[in-house]
Amino acid sequence: MFPFSYPADDRWLLPEGIEELLPEEAERLELLRRRVLDRFAAWGYRLVMPPLIEFIDSLLTGAGHDLDIQTFKLIDQASGRLLGIRADMTPQVARIDARTHAGDTPGRFCYLGSVLHTQADRLEKSRSPIQFGAELYGHSGRASDLEIIRLMLEVLTTAGVERIHLDLGHVGIFRGLARQAGLTGEQEGELFSLLQQKARPELTAAVASLDIDPPLARMFTELVDLNGRHGVMERARECLSEANAAVHMALEELAVLAERLGDCCPEVPVNFDLAELRGYRYQTGVVFAAFVPGYGREIARGGRYDDIGKVFGRARPATGFSADLKVVLRLSGLGESFVGSGEAIFAPAVSDPALIAAIRELRDAGRIVIEALPGQQGDAAAHGFRSELRRNGERWCVCPVASKDT
Amino acid sequence: MLTIAVSKGRIYQEALPLLAEAGIVPSVDPDKSRKLILPTERDDVQLVIIRAADVPTYVEYGAADLGIAGKDVLVEYEGEGLYEPLDLGIARCRLMTAGPPGRPVASRRLRVATKYVNTAKRFFARRGVQAEVIKLYGSMELAPLVGLADCIVDLVDTGNTLRANGLAPQELIMDISSRLVVNKAAMKMKHGPITELAGHLARIVSARAARER
Repeated sequence: MFPFSYPADDRWLLPEGIEELLPEEAERLELLRRRVLDRFAAWGYRLVMPPLIEFIDSLLTGAGHDLDIQTFKLIDQASGRLLGIRADMTPQVARIDARTHAGDTPGRFCYLGSVLHTQADRLEKSRSPIQFGAELYGHSGRASDLEIIRLMLEVLTTAGVERIHLDLGHVGIFRGLARQAGLTGEQEGELFSLLQQKARPELTAAVASLDIDPPLARMFTELVDLNGRHGVMERARECLSEANAAVHMALEELAVLAERLGDCCPEVPVNFDLAELRGYRYQTGVVFAAFVPGYGREIARGGRYDDIGKVFGRARPATGFSADLKVVLRLSGLGESFVGSGEAIFAPAVSDPALIAAIRELRDAGRIVIEALPGQQGDAAAHGFRSELRRNGERWCVCPVASKDT
Repeated sequence: MLTIAVSKGRIYQEALPLLAEAGIVPSVDPDKSRKLILPTERDDVQLVIIRAADVPTYVEYGAADLGIAGKDVLVEYEGEGLYEPLDLGIARCRLMTAGPPGRPVASRRLRVATKYVNTAKRFFARRGVQAEVIKLYGSMELAPLVGLADCIVDLVDTGNTLRANGLAPQELIMDISSRLVVNKAAMKMKHGPITELAGHLARIVSARAARER
């Protein structure tokens, strides 16, 4: 049919959105993985490894329709119940905190692992991200929001991501206005999606069609413009002066948080967007995201989602963030390849206990030693090794590989 | 540097005077050049000339910071990764269903020819009509004439093409005009220049609207 079609034998093809990493990328990803986890550990975030697969009811708690569609499902032959392959690890970590963390002390957890999505991501075209993130349970207020944002910025920087911009919002502002206006769920949903698109013409029309007080209508439409670097909070206080106490509290929370952030991370540009409501369904407070130049959307995001553990029997305040390590890998400026055959040592195919001992000693010291196979093609120079093991009397020592011409 | 994605044809022709009023004048005529990236007389702004249906894709990926796209294309694209803050009020037309006048409603599944597959599906579903959508890339008017479809969904401007082919416009799906679209990340990181340009365009558009009134 096609002038150039796939060969009849296409067994090597991977499913759409599923990828494999070859040594160079896999090694860099592993380097990032270690750096990220080490940094989490340095902040006292304990690593958890939730299962790849579990009952669908516990995977999808409070998450809504989108996650349901994104989750691969299969039947458990042992129990006859429906299983899901995790598409998001956040609810799993919430379950772990709710079921296992005793006492009211703060719980700090981090995680890193593969998740699967049924639908390919629009930008990445991937269905197999490697999700990582951190969650802080049991504290409500600015200090924990600030800790999670600082942790996100530090982890991304440690992973070699530069020129990070921070975007800040608060779902309490729109939610407070919606309550004040007595909107139905449907009306709230419509205004929400128009705000996400900043579709001012449609928003103005939609607000006009609602039967609400003119000052409230004005506040909904002005929300679209409450974004930018400087002076946003001042404008917001003015525009939203007639809003209820919940809205004022949210504004106050955001303003103080931004001030603290300015003190501890003055180099990070902070953008406010009071109409940005990522994860509106389960978020309950401050929401934030990290952006970098050259990437069309956020690279990491998070926020406060108190009470996420309620369905598992224990409601605690919670805040956290997550990101895709594969995206971070692409944007990271860390060394192209940190292990290569150039740094490895070549050992000849000689049967000698002294050689085996020498190789073991080098490997114990963290060096890479590759042993020649009898009759293999090419010598040390041909394989690009820069050093090799040579016998010097009784001992084996590491010597530079002589180039072929000499 | 701001990159603005614009499609060739009617939208480009009608956007040009708007952009010129905002100080953005391409220094190359795209009809006389094969260049796809057009520099402008402003050092900090360039245009990329692409197909209309590709504008949302370029902007969502961040390959362009801003774009000018018809509402028809945006509705069909179904993306969530874009801001569309401003109705530019240009390239106005209507998205409509059209068919041979007087033909009785088919008792089987309605067959609809269109390039707006998602939009057509959603429109008929809302109407409670089971419709089979046939994707075509052009000359939609032909489909009912040759029995390929019962009706079409397409943009209608004057309606002359429809009439010339013995079809009549039937139901209005939505009024269409071009929007300014903005990449979400660019909105955060190039907030100053983008809001300045969007504000400038908004003032020009409302001044025009006031004149027309």
